[in-house]
Amino acid sequence: MTITSAKTSPRVPTMTSAGFRRGLVAALPFLLSNGAAGLVMGLTYKGLGLGASHAFLFSLLVYSATAQAITLSMWASPLPIVAMVVACIATNSRYLLMGAHLRQLFGRFAIRRMLPTLFLLADASWLMTSSDAERNGPDAGYLLGSSIPMAIGWSGGTALAYAAPLAAGGSLKLAGALLPTMFIATLLPSQWKNLKSVWPWLTSAIVALLVARFVDASWSMLIGGGCGTLVSMMERTDA
Amino acid sequence: MHDLEVLAAILILGVTCYAMRAGGYVLAGSLRDDGVVARFLRLAPGNLFVAFIVGGCLSGGLAGLVGTLVAIAAMAINNREWAALGAGFGAALMASALGM
Repeated sequence: MTITSAKTSPRVPTMTSAGFRRGLVAALPFLLSNGAAGLVMGLTYKGLGLGASHAFLFSLLVYSATAQAITLSMWASPLPIVAMVVACIATNSRYLLMGAHLRQLFGRFAIRRMLPTLFLLADASWLMTSSDAERNGPDAGYLLGSSIPMAIGWSGGTALAYAAPLAAGGSLKLAGALLPTMFIATLLPSQWKNLKSVWPWLTSAIVALLVARFVDASWSMLIGGGCGTLVSMMERTDA
Repeated sequence: MHDLEVLAAILILGVTCYAMRAGGYVLAGSLRDDGVVARFLRLAPGNLFVAFIVGGCLSGGLAGLVGTLVAIAAMAINNREWAALGAGFGAALMASALGM
């Protein structure tokens, strides 16, 4: 993900109801797309045998397709919580940069008013807020408004999976096994920069394959991805 | 698996994810845009995704590989997550039915 190095906005940040409405309306399509993705995640939880309340809480509190898909793939008894936390930190590190960018936009805004809004921060709401700030000035109301349909869609879709008359049959079992990988796969095209991505990605794939085969499959992502990132850093530029 | 263990895992992961969301905002003052840590974080996601997908395909068999490749292609073409997931899952289902 490319982070634009915005300078501190000359315009005073606000949190207006007009911005909230603007963001809410603009993000309404996410009710459908996030709802569908949340439904798939819910069905996967259902196939795993997780209760409805736990699945809903998962989507509500963790609220990250990446983190949920990855921790789902690590599900075992007893739960490898430390490895799960490390995986969450590693795969959601982009939020650190999104947050740092938002600080540049809303730096003069009271931090106590921003922190609750950040609970609902998602890739799409960050992108939309950054774009809206360029047109209308930084408005934290827009960030909150655009985040709400996304969160309702995701959590509501997960809950719907339990309300719908679907059983953990053959296709559902297949979904449980394959969809976590597919979730992450859908994010891959957005990460492609140019041909410079080839060597780091190849390194990540080969190291992950070796770690999964000879060490431990649950560490293949972190070690493989870490080695690939080191290769990426050898390039002069990030592009 | 005990309910409390699952609940504790959800709460810990929830706090972790929120810390990632709020952490960048709070720490932004001390994180240099051109620093090594910022660059590593900026470059990490794509590489982590590739490594994760390789691991998933390894355990998902040929049907998983077909479904994943179709999902990536569909996402690259129409940029719609739900459509890519549907196409990928459909392809995996078909591959599985064909005995792959």
